Amino acid sequence: MQFNKILVPVAGTKADEEAMELACTLAGAKNKGLIFAVHVIPVERSLPLDSEIESEIGRADSILAHTELLAQEQGCRIETDLLQAREVGPAIIDEAIEREVNLILIGVSYKKHFGQFSLGDVVPYVLKNAPCRVILYHQRKS
Amino acid sequence: MYIIVVGGGRVGYYLTKALLSEGHEVLMIEKNATVSKTIADELGSVCLHGDGCEAATLDGAGTARADMLIAVTGDDEDNLVACQVAKHKFNVPRTIARVRNPQHEAIFKKLGIDVTVSSTNIILEHIEHEVPSHPLMHLLTISDKGLEVVEIKIPAGSASVGKTIKELSLPPESILSLIIRKERKPIVPTSNTILKAEDQVVAVTPPESEDALRAALIGR
Repeated sequence: MQFNKILVPVAGTKADEEAMELACTLAGAKNKGLIFAVHVIPVERSLPLDSEIESEIGRADSILAHTELLAQEQGCRIETDLLQAREVGPAIIDEAIEREVNLILIGVSYKKHFGQFSLGDVVPYVLKNAPCRVILYHQRKS
Repeated sequence: MYIIVVGGGRVGYYLTKALLSEGHEVLMIEKNATVSKTIADELGSVCLHGDGCEAATLDGAGTARADMLIAVTGDDEDNLVACQVAKHKFNVPRTIARVRNPQHEAIFKKLGIDVTVSSTNIILEHIEHEVPSHPLMHLLTISDKGLEVVEIKIPAGSASVGKTIKELSLPPESILSLIIRKERKPIVPTSNTILKAEDQVVAVTPPESEDALRAALIGR
């Protein structure tokens, strides 16, 4: 199966790096596919959506720069984007629709909530609402 | 403009949709988790699950930066509390409350709610406009002064017909500002103006004197 437009949401975790490597493999080298790496900054409702949160923006820029470097090392075409939204899940879905991607690839690290493994809020939302195929890259429990 | 709508019933839902389509930033707060989820699925990240009467929920909703809070739940008490917390704790400049029981309107205004909307009164006003035989019509509410502009049609056979205005027992706070005669001629009334049958009298009155004004002019 060929994926020529892949959306990879990144949050700066180790799982993201491995997901990015997988995205490069799926996209194929030699400029076959295009990867869109996005980082979403959730903005509290006490602030306007377009407010500039310097600390978050600085962190997001370094995450995206690192992701871009990883893709370039693999010889992949990549575009990065920084989004601000009230909720992360809907922002990812909107981006997938707007860019007409045919795959969303998400790196998932092992998280526990009240002693139980949890996927959090974002992944279930994406799985439920995605307009395309979704691959979860689950990082091995350390 | 950032507008918070408390209550995700039909009124809240359609109000939110309309405000969004006008380009406002809108957040709806809904207490029922299922309703909240349904609305969020349809409208996106504009619905917050929580109790709009609680300060913690309103704080999380960013009420401190809201330009307006509109409470449209089905409970007058909830609407009052939501507006009061928004007004007094978060200094929201404009609060609007839906009122189901029209008798609550005066209390809401005394407690600092900027605007009250009573569906009962709105329907009544429409009936007054649509039914010509109705003797008293509300034309305008001057909410910040607590006054109403009303129109009263003097029916033939009324006790006030043929009397001068000074002979009538008008409530002291009410003023007759205009009389429109049958031949469409407007008159600014004086104390010696004699009322005629079919006169349309435009008066300014506080709502609590409305019944006394009606009784003085129509004699019922």
